[in-house]
Amino acid sequence: MSIAQTTEMGGPNGPPKGTLRIKVPKQLSDTQAAWFLLAPLLIFFAISVVYPVIETIRLSFYDIRGLAPEKFDGWRNYVKLFSDPNFLTSLKVTFIWAISATFFSVTIGWGLAMLCSLNPAKTLVFRVMIFAAYGVSEAVSGFMWLGIYRPDYGLLNGILEGIGLSGWTQPWLGNPSTALGAVIVAYVWTQVGLPLMTCFASIQSIPKNLFEAAYIDGAKSGSVMRHIIAPLSMPGVRVAIFINLLNSLKAFDLIFILTGGGPVRSTETVGFFMYRESMLNFKLGYGAASTVILLIAVLIVSIPLIMKRTGDAK
Amino acid sequence: MKHRKTRSKTTLLGTAAILAGLTGQAMAQEGELVMINWLGGAQGEMMSKLQEDFEAKYPDVTVRNVVPQAGGDARGGIRAVLMGGEQADLLINTWPAFRAELIEAGLILPLDDSYASTDWGDKLGESWQALSTVNGENYGVTYTFGDRSGIWYRTDTMEKAGITPPETYQEFIGGFATLNDAGITPISVPAKVWAHAEWFESLLLRTAGAEYMTRLANGEASWTDDEVKVALQKWQEMLAANCCDDGNTMLALDWDISVDAALKTGDAAYVLMGMWLNTRAKQEYGDTPGADFDIFQFPTFGMGHDDESMVDAKEFNILSSVENREAADAFISYMLTADAAAIMAEYGLASPSTEVDLSIYDPVIQRSVSEVNSAEKLQFVLGDLLPGDLGSEYRVALQRFLQEPSDETIDTITAQLANVAKGVY
Repeated sequence: MSIAQTTEMGGPNGPPKGTLRIKVPKQLSDTQAAWFLLAPLLIFFAISVVYPVIETIRLSFYDIRGLAPEKFDGWRNYVKLFSDPNFLTSLKVTFIWAISATFFSVTIGWGLAMLCSLNPAKTLVFRVMIFAAYGVSEAVSGFMWLGIYRPDYGLLNGILEGIGLSGWTQPWLGNPSTALGAVIVAYVWTQVGLPLMTCFASIQSIPKNLFEAAYIDGAKSGSVMRHIIAPLSMPGVRVAIFINLLNSLKAFDLIFILTGGGPVRSTETVGFFMYRESMLNFKLGYGAASTVILLIAVLIVSIPLIMKRTGDAK
Repeated sequence: MKHRKTRSKTTLLGTAAILAGLTGQAMAQEGELVMINWLGGAQGEMMSKLQEDFEAKYPDVTVRNVVPQAGGDARGGIRAVLMGGEQADLLINTWPAFRAELIEAGLILPLDDSYASTDWGDKLGESWQALSTVNGENYGVTYTFGDRSGIWYRTDTMEKAGITPPETYQEFIGGFATLNDAGITPISVPAKVWAHAEWFESLLLRTAGAEYMTRLANGEASWTDDEVKVALQKWQEMLAANCCDDGNTMLALDWDISVDAALKTGDAAYVLMGMWLNTRAKQEYGDTPGADFDIFQFPTFGMGHDDESMVDAKEFNILSSVENREAADAFISYMLTADAAAIMAEYGLASPSTEVDLSIYDPVIQRSVSEVNSAEKLQFVLGDLLPGDLGSEYRVALQRFLQEPSDETIDTITAQLANVAKGVY
């Protein structure tokens, strides 16, 4: 719409000279309306996501050390990354971390969802409690697990000693061979609530008559879970895998608090490597190159899954 | 009578001149003083109190803090602030390697002219001025410091074991068996992130000296030198004498757990760390310095470097974006006064200013300050002198050593550090 000022005299009932007249434009097409409505979101997305990504890609081609001026360096940061043993270790750690964390989070969440679905009303409080852990910030969870794993007065070692397993006690976060596993356990605890909820929702959408038919035919709960609930809850499982995998690739806070990437870099993921190089060593270009590698990994994981979900929706 | 009149006139004129001078000095400083201030916790509170006191003394000056946002190492946040083009007059800095980076980027100013026109040089001894001097130009004014060669202990832990603070390395290492027999771990080494390096650095200071450490930090000496290996071998000896927990336990300990073990629970006898432990022990444990806990200097080794001390320090740098130089100079001058030192002493910290009477400090700080003041040479903490990459690799290399303190590990990690050093200088 536009507002025009007219200088012409109207008829006997027309507007007097110098008054405002509202000019109504022709109606917007659906496409124009869609762009019009999407515009604020697209502008926000461009500023908060697209620009930082482009800037990160640009920085990855520069040698930037501390506060010194940046120097164009071509592909050297990328070449150096793949010959840097610390980066290669972080890639390996990230792979183990992402696969293990996702596998255990989804498996446990899915299993709990199937069990809860046998009696939804009585398991409500339990589900809320498990999901609450997902809502707790990683930093808070980190400090809680730090107390559990403490080598001197930690809860875990205390329990092991209490049940006569003193030989099993150890500095869980100080031993390079147990540190990654210990952090994964803590991380799974924070993440299991999401697969529980998505899988439970998926199970709830299974038609009730299937269960009735199965029970009329004499099926036990185990058979119902194996032959009906498990296969028909797969859409929820796929969503959980997708979200948990992406979450695990960007996990940082918990690792920072529990181990700081140590001991001896045994828990240093690509995300943590990026932080160390960019924020501690302040090699912004080098850190940006590792960010781009992580971004590519995230896209490789997410694009096929998004396309599959979009295809399913169609 | 005439004589008395003349004397009165002279006195009056003199007094007026002094008053005019004082007023002129106070009036010259006005406006806003912008400070990049990343201090948190007790030290953050202390800085607020110092700023309030300064504002009371210079009512025409208002201090505004620019607080960098950073988790962990504050340098990341400070760099972001500076790269973002934030205008500020003063920066609080504690990392000599960072100071070098700021100089290279032309972000801080040399202060030699200010040293010449003020009394800073009279209030700061030569050792302190040397610490902030780079290539013959002085870029900083130290306002507080910590004795990093001091080993902290609880007095009742020592009584329980029946030993006294050792003076020599032989006494030190000889006491480990007695402490272990009493169920006390002699040393708690927090090797999770950075604090384990303190032990290596103190051993290197005693065996190779401050001059060698400076050369090593500047890339003029090699990590494969015998000096580095001898220091690591001394640590090997200590580990073989059961000084510490097993390697993996040390790698799981953050500094606060170790400090609790030594100064709160008494599970460990000694911990080597900075002066902030004094504040922690007083405020968090409710202990009395000198009575419940105390400090002794790193034992003597008889290798020619026993009168050298390792320190950390915080200094002010004047940024090249300074807009209120008069107020910046006035604030730095204020930080070297006895009034500022009295506020720092309340928080358990020490001032390097010669204007300060030691009696304002508690017995622990008094001991530390005396040791540092009487040291022939001062050496800044090595880890803070190393450039970023090397600093990170250095701490990880020492973690590897603690895991497996063998001769092979010493050869491997020193070669590895020499290799990293090649790429950073």
